[in-house]
Amino acid sequence: MESQARSVRITYPINHQKTFLVTGGTGFLGSHLAVRLLAYGHRVFLLARGRKGDSAVARVRRLLDWFDVDDGTRSMLEVLEGEMAQPLLGLNEGDVQAVIGRVDEIVHCASDTSFSARKRDHVVRTNIEGLQNLLEVVQEGRCRAFHLISTAYVAGMVSGVCREAFGDVEAFHNIYEETKFRAERIAADHCDQNGIVLYVHRPSIVYGDANSGRTLLFNALYYPIRTLNYFQRLYTRDIQENNGEKAQGMGVHMASDGTLYLPVRIESLDASGVNLVPVNHFVAAFMAIRKEKPEGGVFHIVNSRNTAIRQLVVYIRRFFQLSGIRIAEPDEFIKQPKNGLELLFENHIQVYGSYMRDSRVFENSRTAAILAGQDVVCPDFSYETFATCMRYAVDMDWGRRLYQEGDTGCAKKSLMDTKRSPHRKSAG
Amino acid sequence: MFSEQTRQMAAQCRHYAMCKIDYLGTGICASGMENHYVSHFPQGRMDIYDALARELIPITRGLAEIVDSCDLCGICDKQCHFVTGMRPLEVMKGLKQHLKEWIDQGNDIIPVESDPELDALREIVGWRWATNDPAVLVTYANDPFPLAEMRMPRYVALPGTRDEVAALVRFANARGIPYVVRGNGGSVFGFVFSDGLVMDMHRMKGIEIDAENWVVLVEPGVTSFELQQAVVKRGFRVNTAEPAATVCGNIVCTGLFSTWANAYGVNADSFVDMEFVDNKGDIFRLNAPAAPNAFCFEHKLTPAPGICIRAHVRLHPVTGDEEGWFVPFASFEEAAAFAREMSQRRIGLAIGVLGGHYLSTFMSPSAALADNVRFSLTEAIGLDYVVFMIGDRFAREAVNAMQEVVIDQDLFRMFMLGLPRLADDEWLDLVSGMDGDRPPYEILLQREMRPVLDAVLQPSPETAARQVDEDLREFYTKLYARPEMTDMVWLNMFRILSARMSRRKHMFAFLVYVPMDRVDVIEQICTALGRIADDYGIDNDYGFLTPLDMGKRGILEYDYYIDHQDPAEKEKIRKAAVVFEPFLDNLSATTKGVKWLKYIFSQGCARKEAFLYT
Ligand SMILES: Cc1cc2nc3c(=O)[nH]c(=O)nc-3n(C[C@H](O)[C@H](O)[C@H](O)COP(=O)(O)OP(=O)(O)OC[C@H]3O[C@@H](n4cnc5c(N)ncnc54)[C@H](O)[C@@H]3O)c2cc1C
Ligand SMILES: NC(=O)c1ccc[n+]([C@@H]2O[C@H](COP(=O)([O-])OP(=O)(O)OC[C@H]3O[C@@H](n4cnc5c(N)ncnc54)[C@H](OP(=O)(O)O)[C@@H]3O)[C@@H](O)[C@H]2O)c1
Repeated sequence: MESQARSVRITYPINHQKTFLVTGGTGFLGSHLAVRLLAYGHRVFLLARGRKGDSAVARVRRLLDWFDVDDGTRSMLEVLEGEMAQPLLGLNEGDVQAVIGRVDEIVHCASDTSFSARKRDHVVRTNIEGLQNLLEVVQEGRCRAFHLISTAYVAGMVSGVCREAFGDVEAFHNIYEETKFRAERIAADHCDQNGIVLYVHRPSIVYGDANSGRTLLFNALYYPIRTLNYFQRLYTRDIQENNGEKAQGMGVHMASDGTLYLPVRIESLDASGVNLVPVNHFVAAFMAIRKEKPEGGVFHIVNSRNTAIRQLVVYIRRFFQLSGIRIAEPDEFIKQPKNGLELLFENHIQVYGSYMRDSRVFENSRTAAILAGQDVVCPDFSYETFATCMRYAVDMDWGRRLYQEGDTGCAKKSLMDTKRSPHRKSAG
Repeated sequence: MFSEQTRQMAAQCRHYAMCKIDYLGTGICASGMENHYVSHFPQGRMDIYDALARELIPITRGLAEIVDSCDLCGICDKQCHFVTGMRPLEVMKGLKQHLKEWIDQGNDIIPVESDPELDALREIVGWRWATNDPAVLVTYANDPFPLAEMRMPRYVALPGTRDEVAALVRFANARGIPYVVRGNGGSVFGFVFSDGLVMDMHRMKGIEIDAENWVVLVEPGVTSFELQQAVVKRGFRVNTAEPAATVCGNIVCTGLFSTWANAYGVNADSFVDMEFVDNKGDIFRLNAPAAPNAFCFEHKLTPAPGICIRAHVRLHPVTGDEEGWFVPFASFEEAAAFAREMSQRRIGLAIGVLGGHYLSTFMSPSAALADNVRFSLTEAIGLDYVVFMIGDRFAREAVNAMQEVVIDQDLFRMFMLGLPRLADDEWLDLVSGMDGDRPPYEILLQREMRPVLDAVLQPSPETAARQVDEDLREFYTKLYARPEMTDMVWLNMFRILSARMSRRKHMFAFLVYVPMDRVDVIEQICTALGRIADDYGIDNDYGFLTPLDMGKRGILEYDYYIDHQDPAEKEKIRKAAVVFEPFLDNLSATTKGVKWLKYIFSQGCARKEAFLYT
């Protein structure tokens, strides 16, 4: 399970040491980038917020334990407790001055990644107003390079080739895409006016480390599989302990080949699947781009080959020893309406549908050229990679055991935890 | 020796009098039912323990008798745990232990001398039913209301008849003794205290059903719970609110509002007639031509028309096809609008807009579970508000035709019996991850999801009982196996869950009549009360909203929560009062349809039209 690449020490040449501000430091990509920058010998200010009784510092400490960052490296990192949605990022005066006076480059990863229109206000507040707050803080400062972690999906509702450049978009699938698109424009205008070099990094869908499977986030690719795994365990227990009373009600049973039969049909649509990049590739690509392109630009960090949903279903069946889950033609659902499990999937597919059945092609000639020059290659999403990632996910109970690893004594405290305190005001 | 931990628990008694009704079918404290004084119920014993530990009262003969009369049967543990999570048996044991040690140490039990006034009182009500023993008096001396101090009466008397009530009034007047009448003291607003005489109505428990006239005659010691039980047996229903409240006291004090108010009204809508003893000791009926006009309303603090000695309460018909359901909403505005529409269209009987706090707290047998359930319902599945309804088959069909998602009785039972699993971390993580434009509850509550939910929740009495103390699990398992414990109609008629709202801390409730077509005003009230509480560091939450009078008006509850034993918390309320009083006074005076219940206290006989439309 433990990958050799896990331990992060200062092993890289400490040339041109710079000071970075990384926002979204407790997030999946933000933490990976921050740790890599530290490993390169840079100094990092990490913007993070406290949550549920945990201070920002405590959360970051737990993360650094997860990355196995040594003490020397840790001394190069300083946590700034802040909130994107607040003026001056909610930073104290000293921290504002530190950002203005010392930060050379910004890596802006903080983002509300919800797709839900219900959360529109929140998403806008973080992704748009938060960015504006950040730009306001750094306007006066010495920062000369701004890395905006955007997404390939700012392309919106189009099909065919999506250019590796700013472009016009007429419609979006969701509020996330829309705000990420608007954020690019805001950043571009601001950087243009203030002589700051802008890098717009547009990854597609990022999953765990392709070699070790390690990840901090179990959404996107992981979520539907996690759902299946949840029901697999639920019904298996029911079959083993309660004669399968509940399983029968759902048409679930143990098949003769030892697999669990879960009746889940996934509606097929003509499209070419999902674009997946492992986090190690994303980080490597980011570093390569930063190094090779002092003039900045727009960069598609994507996989040149999509993974078909059909392929994913095969992987899932094989890894999880499941049967019953299959691709079905739309008219099948007319004859036999969706069952409860399928409805859960339908919801997920409605949300992620545009990414799972993606016919968009992300042109990436500029990025590809840079990466080729540095031997950075995005691996295919093979069964082995899938299995490695799923093994880690299952071992970590889809994030719930993330910090029990290696005796950090942080059982069940997920960084992504969103529980809220009980007595809160409600109406009005 | 007193244990400070036990004393603290004793002092936390909320005085909601739930231990005076048999709401779980366990029976009631036998000593209480035999002796009738509050002091002989668990509630009184909690006060006595606290008072003894703080050396406020001596060990008197009365006290010894109270302590001896407890047989440690443990009913109080079950009853109290159900609503507060507390286990008062510890207190009862502590009292016995203390008394034994006291006697073993050779101390004397102090006899309490009578005096001429007490003799005269005993002359009226019988020797047993009047006392000046401090152990009894102390249980009539305070409640958790944060803005009043302890007030020991000189006497407590329990009249058994209307004539005795009248005689007590005349006697008190003649001797210049101030007096107050007490139902079950559940108003918890510092109303039932006096330096003189407290008349406790507990012995007057007469209920007489006059079916042809659709009326039931109720004496002032009868609680809502007892009345509902009696009339349900005959196929009727009465408008009831808090189960331990006396019906007469409730009508006079607050005008008796509840979610049933949508169909049954409030104030004068609840009764056909009322009989009173006035402040001279004369008996009158409200319907008598020469009676004082208690149907009118004055916008000022006004005393009650007298002591109600009998209420002629309206009986309501029940159809065999009634059931309860929830219609979920992601916003208060939508929920309030829907509730109003139901009332306007006369669909349904009981209607209320509930938020996450009431919903999770009422449903959960423990405070910790309630917190998790609240998170589960609101944050995870996006169900912030529900419109709760009771109605017949036609009402249900109408609602089904109007709303895609409805939590019906079966689903509610599934939730109640599977509650611990609804709040299970793993399931919550999964549900929290459901991103989409529709709130997750819209998917989860679809009919096709039932078998899935059934597998996830594993609903059963055993599952439901999983979250309580181990030694109570068997009891809870049996309790949850009883169909009424998960039956929305029964639960709302007998209202045995509502006192759970104060499980963490005592509540300080704001009740405001509001114009139902002005959701902006309703939201403004909630926001302002919330902000004021936040400014003073007071826990607070939305309570409920019920439409009235075909959706024209409504009644809103917003609650503050305080530890009534913490002087700092009382101080917070005192300071906040300087802000919320003028806010609500001003709003009541300037906005049509807004009326703070403060002005209706003791004017519960007034016609609602007299204060809702002026
Ligand atoms: C958890 C909780 C929830 C509540 N919810 C509601 C609710 O939904 N709706 C509602 O209406 N109320 C509610 N209340 C308030 C409470 O139920 C009422 O104040 C009710 O009057 C209490 O009844 P009681 O018999 O305990 O009255 P007490 O507290 O004993 O007396 C209340 C007042 O009425 C007077 N009084 C009592 N008996 C008589 C009588 N026979 N004749 C004349 N005056 C009398 C007393 O002097 C006193 O002023 C709630 C209270 C609690 C604790
Ligand atoms: N992961 C992918 O597959 C993927 C693909 C394409 C693009 N991206 C982009 O990459 C960036 C990082 O995504 P991620 O996958 O790392 O997501 P993530 O794990 O959810 O991280 C988001 C980070 O933003 C922080 N944040 C959110 N709102 C904030 C606020 N109001 N104030 C302060 N901090 C706030 C979060 O802090 P808390 O921990 O306190 O919540 C967290 O640290 C995002 O811009 C995203 O759009 C990601």
